[in-house]
Order: sequence, then C-alpha cells, then structure tokens
Amino acid sequence: MKLIKALKIVQSPPPGGLRRLRILLACGFTPLHLQTFLQANLRVLMPNVLPEIKAGVFGDLIGNIEKFKSSEADFLIVALEWSDLDPRLGIRRLGGWRPQQLSDIAICAESAAKRIRSALEIVSRDTTTILSMPTLPLPPAFATRLIQSSPQELQLHRIAGQLCESLSASPGIRILNSQAMAEISSPASRYDINSDLLSGFPYSLSHASATGELLARMIENRTPLKGLITDLDDTIWSGILGEDGVEGISWNLDRHSQMHGVYQQFISSLAATGVLIGVASKNNVSLVQEAFERKDLLLSQEDVFPFEVHWSSKIESVGRILRAWNISADSIVFIDDSPAEVAEVQTAFPEMICRVFPKSDSAAILALLRDLRDLFGKPVITEEDMLRLRSIRTAGAWRSESGAPQTPSDEFLRSAEARIFFECGYRSDNRAFELVNKTNQFNLNGRRYSESDWRRLISDPSEVLLTVTYEDKFGALGKIAVLLGKRRGDEVHLQTWVMSCRAFSRRIEHQCLRFLFVELGVNRIIFEFAPTARNGPFQDFLKSVAGPSLEAPVSLTKDTFSENAPELFHRIEVNVNA
Amino acid sequence: MPDQNERLLRCFSSVFPTLTEEEIENATAESIGIWDSLSTVTLAAVVQEEFDLEIDPEVLPSLNSYQAFREYLITR
Repeated sequence: MKLIKALKIVQSPPPGGLRRLRILLACGFTPLHLQTFLQANLRVLMPNVLPEIKAGVFGDLIGNIEKFKSSEADFLIVALEWSDLDPRLGIRRLGGWRPQQLSDIAICAESAAKRIRSALEIVSRDTTTILSMPTLPLPPAFATRLIQSSPQELQLHRIAGQLCESLSASPGIRILNSQAMAEISSPASRYDINSDLLSGFPYSLSHASATGELLARMIENRTPLKGLITDLDDTIWSGILGEDGVEGISWNLDRHSQMHGVYQQFISSLAATGVLIGVASKNNVSLVQEAFERKDLLLSQEDVFPFEVHWSSKIESVGRILRAWNISADSIVFIDDSPAEVAEVQTAFPEMICRVFPKSDSAAILALLRDLRDLFGKPVITEEDMLRLRSIRTAGAWRSESGAPQTPSDEFLRSAEARIFFECGYRSDNRAFELVNKTNQFNLNGRRYSESDWRRLISDPSEVLLTVTYEDKFGALGKIAVLLGKRRGDEVHLQTWVMSCRAFSRRIEHQCLRFLFVELGVNRIIFEFAPTARNGPFQDFLKSVAGPSLEAPVSLTKDTFSENAPELFHRIEVNVNA
Repeated sequence: MPDQNERLLRCFSSVFPTLTEEEIENATAESIGIWDSLSTVTLAAVVQEEFDLEIDPEVLPSLNSYQAFREYLITR
C-alpha cells in the first residue's frame, strides 16, 4: 500500500456505530508511518471495527510495556528492534563499537530481553499481545567481514531467538513470523537511514507498509477452516487406482510422484491438529480399502472420516460429508485434480473454497499447501482439536443407534451411560473462548467477544463461568458447552450460552439448566436472548422449556423448568475452581 | 506540468485533508497552524513515493511551502 492511499483510508470518515478496537503500539522509535499503515490496513481488513491506535512514549519500549495496563487497550503491539535491546545497536546513539563495548552490548541485550520477557508475560495474561522481532539489520559494528557472522552477532541472535521461543508458549502472545515478513519485505530494503536520522523513524516506506499489513493480519486472527475434502486419484496418489492397480499408484522420488507424498504428509499433519479430512472419490471401494492398507501410505485410514467412494456425483459426496460433519460449507476446502469436478462442486456450494490439485506442477502444489496452511493454521492446538475426529465418529455412531433424526427415546438415553462434567470457574480455558466465538446454532444471542474482552469479562469474580464436557458409551465429545452469567440474589442472568451442534439430542442443555437451579441454588434464570439468523435450534429449545413467547427479557423459574423438562439420565460430576 | 501540479496537490491534500485547493496552493509552514515537523516528514515521504525521487535531508528545511515543493520538483 502506498502512503498516500493509507493516509486517505485513515482520514476517510468511518460509518457510525462501529465497535472501537483500542491498540497500543509500543516501539522504541517514533511510530510515524507504521501507525498510519497499521491503521489503514485494519480499516480495510476489519471494516466492522474502528481502530484507535495510541503510541507509547518515544524511545522507551520496555518502559511502555511495563507501564501498560490492560484497561488501556484491547491489543498491545510490540515492534521490537535491535536498538531496544541496546541503544548502541542503533545509529542514533554513539556509544562505541570497540570489542569491549560489543561484549557489554551483549550483556545489556541479555538483561533487556529478560525485562521484556517478564513484562510481556504479565501483560499477555489479560491483553492479547503481538510481537514483531527485530526486522532491521544489525549495524556494521562487528569485527568480521559482512559475509562472516561474528560471535557477538550470533550471541545477539541467540538472545532474540530465546526471547521469542520462550514467549511463543504463552497463549496470549502471537509472534510475527519473520519468514512471512521476508516474503513481502526484502531485508536489504527495510532500513531508511535518512528517515532514521531525520525523524527517528527507521523503516523505509515499503517496509512500514509490509509491517503494518502483517500486524493488522495478526490482529484480524481469521477463524481457521475446519475440514478438507480431497480426491484420491492423481491427488493423494499419482495414478488411477482402477487402471494402475494398488501397486501401480505412487508417491515417491523414483516414480517422479514425490509431491503426492508431500500432500499426504501435509493432510496427515492437518488431521493430527483436529482438521477433519474426508474423501470424495469416484472409485472402487474395495480397491481404495486395499490402497489404504499399503504400509508406505503416509495418511492413515483412521485420519479420514467419512470415505465417500462410489460412482455418484461429487456434489452428492460432498453433501453427505457435510452432513456427517455437521459443518457449513464455508468452513471447508474441496480439492480435486479435475477442473470440471471442482467447477461442479463450486457451483453447488458457492461459499466453499474449491481448488484444483495441480498434479503436474510441483511448485504449484507447494504453493497450494502454503495456502492451505494459512487457511487451517491456528494459534494454539487444544486438547479438543485432537479429540474432534473421534467426537464426530462418536456423534455418527450415536445418530445411527438412536434412530436420528427422530428424537431418541428415554430407553435409549438411559442405556447411553452418559456422563457430564461441569467445571466452574476455570478462567484460563481457551476452548471456552473458541466455542463461544464459533458456535452458531445453539447460541443464546450470537454474541462474539474479542480475546481481550473475554479475558476481562471472565476475570470478573462476580461472573459465573461454566464449561461442560460430555461422554457416553459411544465415546467422548469433549468440551461442548459454555455458560457465562452473573448471579444476582436468587437469579442468574445468563449472557452467553453456546453448545456444539455435535451434542444435540442428548438433553445436555436441560442438564445445564438443572445444574444452575440446583447447584447454584437459584430460583430464576434470566436469558439475555436475541434471535439470530442461525440460532433456530436454540430458539426451539428455549420455547420448549420457557414457553412460546421469546420476548425480552426471557425468564425461566425453577418450577416451570421442572414441569417442562424431560427425564434426565446423565451421571454428573462437578469441579469447582475457587 | 499540470499533471505534476495535480499530483502535488493530491500529496498535500493527503497530509492536510481539511484544506481547500486554493488554501493548499498558498500554504506555508508559518501560515498553517497544523503544519508541524511531523507534517513535513510525512509530506516529504508522500512526495518521494509519488514522484519516485529522494529528497536530500539537507533540502528538507527549505521545503516549507507548497510553492517551495513545486519549485523543487521543477528543478529535479
């Protein structure tokens, strides 16, 4: 983006009623054009919010972080440069580059890194923090030729690397990938010495633009997609199974089909992090089974559910997979080597991302894998991610045993040996935040939260946070529901309640209400209900227990609930984190 | 030259969005309260990017009016 365009975007009047997004930009240099580019990119990427960016005190990055209070901003952005670790690593200070001084610089940098680490660990507990590690070159301060790394340079890179690595484990910190930065901003053209000397802003315009764009994308934190549907022939493997036979298909260097192996390896890694993998292939089912028994296949049969292998249309297969997963098409990627099949599926499911597998172009396959990583990448992998596929299979088994779509009978529910675990007050639970922000159908009001808002809300001791985990004899569904409310006398005001659609038809929602009445000892629940385009299942449930009128405020007394609730058969366990 | 003037006006307008075209043409650092050192740096950056040139930092203090920028561009 050019600066003139960024200025225009920033100056254009925003539409009214936008939610404010407060950001503190902490950097040791004057933020000048970086602030402009960041704001402009945020306005483009997130048109529904109004970004307000404040900069800390010039020249004191660490002090800015240490003085930061979570009430000041929703996000903290730290643009670290070498001169923040020691000012002598910048051009604006003349502290000397003699060997003894270089040793002292390393000692000071180590101590600055420790201060930064402890300050960021504290800040990131309440405020999502984006960290950009040094992007500018080190000055020509070291005794070796430029092509040779000096021990002091390596020491400084180790210090920065260790700082980065130790912070990367903190759930509230996102670290900007230096490789992504290098792809859009060449290291040789990042530093503008004239601007640094003149105004204290060291970035060239192109580098400021690139940094602003990437930082804005880090804040945007797009929701990762959930499932991938792939073809088999000339996609998972090279060759046509029906023509070449099980031994004729390949994915190795010898047969010039290595990229199919790389694709398998990639898909397998997605499956291991909770991405659902389905197969849609026009093929012979017994041959596919045989192919998946090959020991050298990098994708396990266990990683795939369901297999749609037959001669019917791909549209039919994709539709069935979506039903099995109970996920909307906009969360899915479809991959096939046939442009015609891709076009057909794209027409039937316009919101789905459909891509052709470029079987004879290795570079294009690698580019596809990079795109997919970006679409499916998530900030942290949770236990629930690992459980997702098992949970979907469990839901499938439940559906076939319970006679779905009919409501399961009391007899079936009693025999399901269901157990529900209520956890009260586990405020560091990242899964709760994830569920609240992605659940649509069983959702009290469709309310979404920023990470900072959510952290602030649940740190309020007067809020009751309840998470619900479910399992039965068919298997575990994992953590499937979250309730957040405030207790006022003998009432609970419920402001957020979501439940995964995988958990429908098990009367878990009734058990949640019973829990509130019995365990919290309240007589009335007030629902901060709002209809949304997609929360029909929640509305149906609420009508079934509270009556047909859903006009605000919707409330439910303990007596009405007892009259309307069906019999419940779950075994209950409760964990309270005081 | 008209094209150059138009582009320079656009640059000024991006830094001083509240000024009219006429006000910009008569603008000097002294006559406009909002023209501070930061505006000069931003103006220089926008002009450098727009006209694909590098302004010598030593010249920058003398670029203290619209006309000064205009004459500077003519001499380039």
